[in-house]
Amino acid sequence: MRSRKLSHYGQQFFFVGPAVLFFTLVMIIPFLMGMYYSFTDWNGVSGEVTWVGFDNFAKIFSGDPDFWKSFWFTVRFTVLGVVLTNLVGFFLAYFLTKPLKSRNVLRTVFFMPNIIGGLLLGFIWQFIFIKGFSTLGDMTGWSFFQLPWLGDATTGFWAIVMVFVWQYSGYLMVIYIASLSNVSKEVLEAAEIDGASHFQVLRSIIAPLIMPAVTVSLFLAISWSFKMFDLNLSLTKGGPFKSTESVALNIYNEAFLNNRYGLGTAKALLFFVIVAIISLIQVRITKSKEVEA
Amino acid sequence: MNKKRSMVILSVLLVMSMLLAACGGKNNANNAANGNSGNSGKSGAVKTVKVFQFKTEIVEGLNELKVEFEKEYPNIKLDIQTVGGGADYAAALKTKFASGDAPDIFSNGGFAELDMWQDKIEDLSDQAWVKDLVPLAAEPMTKDGKVYGMPMNLEGIGYVYNKDLFAKAGITETPKTITELEEAAKKLQAAGITPFGNAYQEWWLLGNQGISTAFARQDNVDEFIKGLNEGTQTIVGNQQFKDWSNLLNLTVKYGQKNPLTTDANTHLALFANSEIGMMQEGNWAQTLIDNITPGMNIGMFPMPIDDNAEKNDKLTVGIPANLVVNKDSASKEEAKIFLNWLVTSDMGKEYIVKKWKFIPALTTIPASAEDIGMLGADVKKYVDENKVYGLQSSKFPDGVTQEFASAIQELIAGKTDVNGWMTNMQAAWDKLKK
Repeated sequence: MRSRKLSHYGQQFFFVGPAVLFFTLVMIIPFLMGMYYSFTDWNGVSGEVTWVGFDNFAKIFSGDPDFWKSFWFTVRFTVLGVVLTNLVGFFLAYFLTKPLKSRNVLRTVFFMPNIIGGLLLGFIWQFIFIKGFSTLGDMTGWSFFQLPWLGDATTGFWAIVMVFVWQYSGYLMVIYIASLSNVSKEVLEAAEIDGASHFQVLRSIIAPLIMPAVTVSLFLAISWSFKMFDLNLSLTKGGPFKSTESVALNIYNEAFLNNRYGLGTAKALLFFVIVAIISLIQVRITKSKEVEA
Repeated sequence: MNKKRSMVILSVLLVMSMLLAACGGKNNANNAANGNSGNSGKSGAVKTVKVFQFKTEIVEGLNELKVEFEKEYPNIKLDIQTVGGGADYAAALKTKFASGDAPDIFSNGGFAELDMWQDKIEDLSDQAWVKDLVPLAAEPMTKDGKVYGMPMNLEGIGYVYNKDLFAKAGITETPKTITELEEAAKKLQAAGITPFGNAYQEWWLLGNQGISTAFARQDNVDEFIKGLNEGTQTIVGNQQFKDWSNLLNLTVKYGQKNPLTTDANTHLALFANSEIGMMQEGNWAQTLIDNITPGMNIGMFPMPIDDNAEKNDKLTVGIPANLVVNKDSASKEEAKIFLNWLVTSDMGKEYIVKKWKFIPALTTIPASAEDIGMLGADVKKYVDENKVYGLQSSKFPDGVTQEFASAIQELIAGKTDVNGWMTNMQAAWDKLKK
């Protein structure tokens, strides 16, 4: 009995231990340290760390319009990003589960942007927006291409949204494909025999049955777009005049450019709490919509 | 269930503490070993000097120097690492210090940055090369009479212009006042040449190097900055800032389209293809232009903000980076040997001037126009005649240069007028001052 119990713990230790260990080392401990620093005025370098209590948080709420500007930017970006990546991802998946000849090739093509890192993608797209679009604009005379891409607040915002959707909808497509191919053929056939139209099948049969995938995809898209940093950095660096600065970039700049590490971690902590709450609400709502066939 | 969980947590904690203990132990052992091995470079065990710097353009030369240096000092190994770009470098350096992998030699910008890093930096006042420093070059790293770093080179900032295009447009003399500059721009435009290339996407071009002129032209810049920090001075309504905004508007008016999406590579390419007459750049642009179009006939002149010819005829000169030695390093003596070798050995001197086209910060290193290129020669002329303004931006509070750039970009985009701009500049300063 004793030895069985021991072996039970042994197994747990063996299988779970390493993961827990590394998760603690690279996630939990830095998180706790960040929490500590958010109550200090540390500049990131010096040996002197002074405890300042809630000063940093007070500063964020009272005297930092840039942070709230970037927060508003991130919220707008998230709403668009989440809706568009999911819509595009879902419809790609919907059409690529139909018996098309080229569907394997197309699936790979749409998934491809995910394999390339965000920074690299950003720089490629920066080139496309600035050089490619203006050349196309000169050739075709279309006003869409002649806009000052990345040069003002509006085009900067939409440029980031476009690249983000292009990059991530492929990943969500894979999730939706997996879920769509699990929808039972019998149910679909039954619906067809009952005379349901394509749209009715989509709305009343498919949509409820793939709800678990929607939960996951929404969750992923929300956390991706809230955390968006690499695209932002490589496409616009938050410019022009900070009009496209995401919260992640604002935090990074505060900690590493302004050398106010304490204030930066305070912002990060605040941001973490907000994103956590939003994600929890989203998961709860979509979970309640899940059904079983 | 609860008991199980606590067991898991307990065991993990145990393993972790063992790991931590092991790390700590290793560190101690290392320190002890390093401490024992004496401090002469020519005898004893081989020691490694870790150099961490950000000038990507000199990496190749540094690696060649490393081979030669290691031949001369077989007991010192150099480990050279480079991370380019100012902000990325600072973040990477902090990471290295935080993770216990601190380099022995690293870069520092001086002034405000020196204050920040001072308790990590070794006092180098007793080094042989200190007395040979060009006075202007020693300034950023000097504090309370002590010298904390070795300036790598001098860099001049102004308008880099294409002499052939200027001649073609009938401009015989470089403009000394803003009125003359506008006339020159009109002549260039009449000759079918875009006068200015504006890479106003780059924050450093605006908020660091550009705006420096407005500061340098104050009656007493150090007093002015002190006043800004204490709240007794203000940028709002300041004449030099107004003048500077006129210059900015002039360049935008006579510049290429979409200045806010143009980066430095683009304006360099435009310049090297003779599509633009001039651009705000530094003498480091020489090697970059040579890479595209070798042998161009180019020069450099200061940025005029008003009509006072004498005051305008001074070039902005800065120290891009200083090499400093980590005070807590186990091989700091070896690091000093390398720094000294870099500026005194024949090969080191040759590389600084000929390979990197640096304007040397030491009077003992000779530099001719052929060595450092036409831009370098122009800068050196201004330095020798002492017609220079120091680059002021390292005296600003951390992060202000980027904030300035945003405010200036807003002005360029027409989102605010000059008064609003000056208010924004002042707000940026107030937000970040210590």
